[in-house]
Amino acid sequence: MHMPEPDNDVIERRDEICATLRTIIPADCVIDSIESMRAFDSDGLSAYRQLPLAVVLPETVDQIADVMKWCHQNGVKVVPRGAGTSLSGGALPLADAVLLGLGKFNKILDIDYDNRCVVAQPGVTNLAITNAVEDHGFYYAPDPSSQIACSVGGNVAENSGGVHCLKYGLTTNNLLGIEIVTIEGEILRLGGKHLDAGDYDLMGIMTGSEGLLGIVSEVTLRILQKPATRRALLVGFEDTTSAGKAVGDVIGAGIIPAGMEMMDGLAINAAEDFANAGYPRSAAALIIVELDGPEVEVDTLIDRVEVIMKNAGASSIKVSQSEEERTLFWAGRKSAFPAVGRISPDYMCMDGTIPRRRLPDMMIRMASLSQKYGLRVANVFHAGDGNLHPLILFDANEPGELERAENFGGDILRACVEMGGVLTGEHGVGIEKRDLMGIQFTEDDMKQQQRLKCAFDADHLLNPGKVFPHLHRCAELGRLHVHKGKMPHADLPRF
Amino acid sequence: MASSLASFTAHNLADVRDIISAAIADNTRLDVCATGTKKALGHAGDFDAVLDVTKMAGVIDYQPEELILTLRAGTPLADVETLLTNANQMLAFDPPDFGKLLGGGDAGTIGGVMVANLSGPRRLTVGAARDFMLGFEAVSGRGELFKSGGKVVKNVTGYDLSKLICGSFGTLAVVDEITLKTLPRPETSLSLLFPADDMAQATSMIADIFATPHEPGSAAILPHNIAKDARIDMNAPMIIVVRLEGIAVSVNDRAMHLLNANATGEKLDHGKSKKLWQKIRDVDLLAGMPADVWKISCPPSIAAGFLDKLRQQVAFDFYSDWAGGLIWLSGVSDKNFGGAVRSALGQDGFAMLMRDVGDSKAHVSPFQPLATSMFELHKRVKAAFDPKSVLNFGRMHDGI
Repeated sequence: MHMPEPDNDVIERRDEICATLRTIIPADCVIDSIESMRAFDSDGLSAYRQLPLAVVLPETVDQIADVMKWCHQNGVKVVPRGAGTSLSGGALPLADAVLLGLGKFNKILDIDYDNRCVVAQPGVTNLAITNAVEDHGFYYAPDPSSQIACSVGGNVAENSGGVHCLKYGLTTNNLLGIEIVTIEGEILRLGGKHLDAGDYDLMGIMTGSEGLLGIVSEVTLRILQKPATRRALLVGFEDTTSAGKAVGDVIGAGIIPAGMEMMDGLAINAAEDFANAGYPRSAAALIIVELDGPEVEVDTLIDRVEVIMKNAGASSIKVSQSEEERTLFWAGRKSAFPAVGRISPDYMCMDGTIPRRRLPDMMIRMASLSQKYGLRVANVFHAGDGNLHPLILFDANEPGELERAENFGGDILRACVEMGGVLTGEHGVGIEKRDLMGIQFTEDDMKQQQRLKCAFDADHLLNPGKVFPHLHRCAELGRLHVHKGKMPHADLPRF
Repeated sequence: MASSLASFTAHNLADVRDIISAAIADNTRLDVCATGTKKALGHAGDFDAVLDVTKMAGVIDYQPEELILTLRAGTPLADVETLLTNANQMLAFDPPDFGKLLGGGDAGTIGGVMVANLSGPRRLTVGAARDFMLGFEAVSGRGELFKSGGKVVKNVTGYDLSKLICGSFGTLAVVDEITLKTLPRPETSLSLLFPADDMAQATSMIADIFATPHEPGSAAILPHNIAKDARIDMNAPMIIVVRLEGIAVSVNDRAMHLLNANATGEKLDHGKSKKLWQKIRDVDLLAGMPADVWKISCPPSIAAGFLDKLRQQVAFDFYSDWAGGLIWLSGVSDKNFGGAVRSALGQDGFAMLMRDVGDSKAHVSPFQPLATSMFELHKRVKAAFDPKSVLNFGRMHDGI
């Protein structure tokens, strides 16, 4: 992975920069010793590590603004960091950039049941929002699997999803307002406790912008009343084609489950070894369908889904009869990643999305790629929305295996795009998929996105080297090549 | 649409590109327009020519089991709804038909609905138009073809430009192909009516209903006179309407629980409920009055205070949707009315002038004015897509 050439002038000014930062924010909020900075040298994509120029951990929004303003005026780059759980390298430090961590912003500011929202600082964890409101029967719907650790500010930056986003949407669909700090140090409020402000939807653009447009300094999240009941079905299939079709049949019947997950044979067995969840070991595919809502509704829909699964050729069906059993059904799925970690020294988690009907084709393609690269792959899918998480098993200590695994992963993502899908469903582009962006987007598509970046950060100081494979200067992007066009189909003026 | 300007018809994005390129070269300001049903929204603008996109119509791909619909922006909304209804699906954000309100005759095209980010009563619980746009292809005001998003329901690759296009009123790019997320149509629905003494009590009663697990889908508040016009006869100053949707056994069960908790409630059956919510969605309840109409979005808890404050200054009719968070106001076209609305609301929401029957727009901006730093950022975003201001210049704000 090639990162932009660090600016040696900035690196040489490191001591002076740190000294100045200590005059802008409290001295103990600036970390510059190598040992202390090690804790920040990577995020969830731990194959890549880099020490930052310095780490700053501001305590107030004004301090964020002051740091940003100074960095902007002095041409120093800034990499924002929430909890550092990104799986795509979004928070990977740069040698010539200040890493701005939001860990101290850990307070919930307002719980507003009348308007069904929570206002929180960006460093609050995703799960803490639900914990704060569950006494009143409410919860925050997006539930990325890292929810115990990941921060809500990071959720906004990555537009995080989760198992239940089939029914409840991603972060962007559950966000009412944000406060941001721009690279120039301006503090702006986008949205609020109301719905749909009538301006350009800059909050929508900030969501999923991977720290390239601004720093999220406050969030207002929509909370929902917890469903009265949750029940799940555990359904085994002898082949993945029938399983894939069954998923489509459920949605085709007008049922949107709260979650609909699929695992292949290797993942089923790894998970069963780990969690003893009662998974059918001989099945080629396992589907977990969860339904939530009023009890009579869930009971009715469970019956309907059971019939659909039988008709689709299920080899085994279990319906949860208690909350314990439902939790057990999920235990295997939720431990799929660590379970796979036990059967292989290393694994790499991919994250493409395909139109669901292409699932059988994708399974065939993955099997042949697995053979080509001589590496095993275990598959875990958010089947309801076609989001794949192939886990490529490899051993980093074997020379060449990491590279082979990366090439395997690249081929899977190429296949996703070729089948009408996209490079990333929820993990983000970061550095991991940066160089693959050209598979999905033309040069013009990417240039238009980067022009938007220029509207927020004309000097490319915020999180550079992420998301886009080529950095174009804003002046170059702004140039307009007008070829004298001719008005076609010019109708007569109408009076 | 009646216009004295030269009109250029685009059949596809290649045409759009040629027309925009020519407009850039000639400094021509284009009025991007399909059937013109939303012409009344925003500023009239000062244009040199019309870019007519009505011909860019038709469905490209519809996969009900994938919840995916790809179609062209000029497709009439009515055609989209027929197609989806036949497959037992819907556009869940409930796009309104402002034909009566705005005098455009019908609901116009899907492209018009999306770029104006128009959503109906279900918006409260399922999301806005912007939440259902998954991707698009367009030509920017630079005359360049580009795409964003994808044709799958879950995607975070690159900036989510669909969000920006929704609500941009054609000021950034001319969109052709749009991919939308569809959802199954609920099997049935009914509404519950509850009496309330005033707006404050009504919003607080709705908040209590939303604090139950009985999954209300939409919630409106109708003053007695408005309800009566809509043939809802309940003897109370304010009438709360709560819609429940889903499978019959669930809808009936939830209705029973909510009625048990509040014995003053009454049931409105599926047919009557459907008709009432259509009137609420399309603002039929105020459209017949010869008056200006304002749309106010605010946190539900401040709605009552806002209305009280405004009442001290001007007279108006109103009703509310989105649990109290959306207020439709009608009042005489008067130079002071808009100012009174905006000062009563303050910074906690936004107020948009939707219909001007007099010359109100000469006194007040139809869109809520932007603070300086937000305005500057909006201008830079506009310039990133349309540096020569050839597309719908000034429709939203002066200079944008």
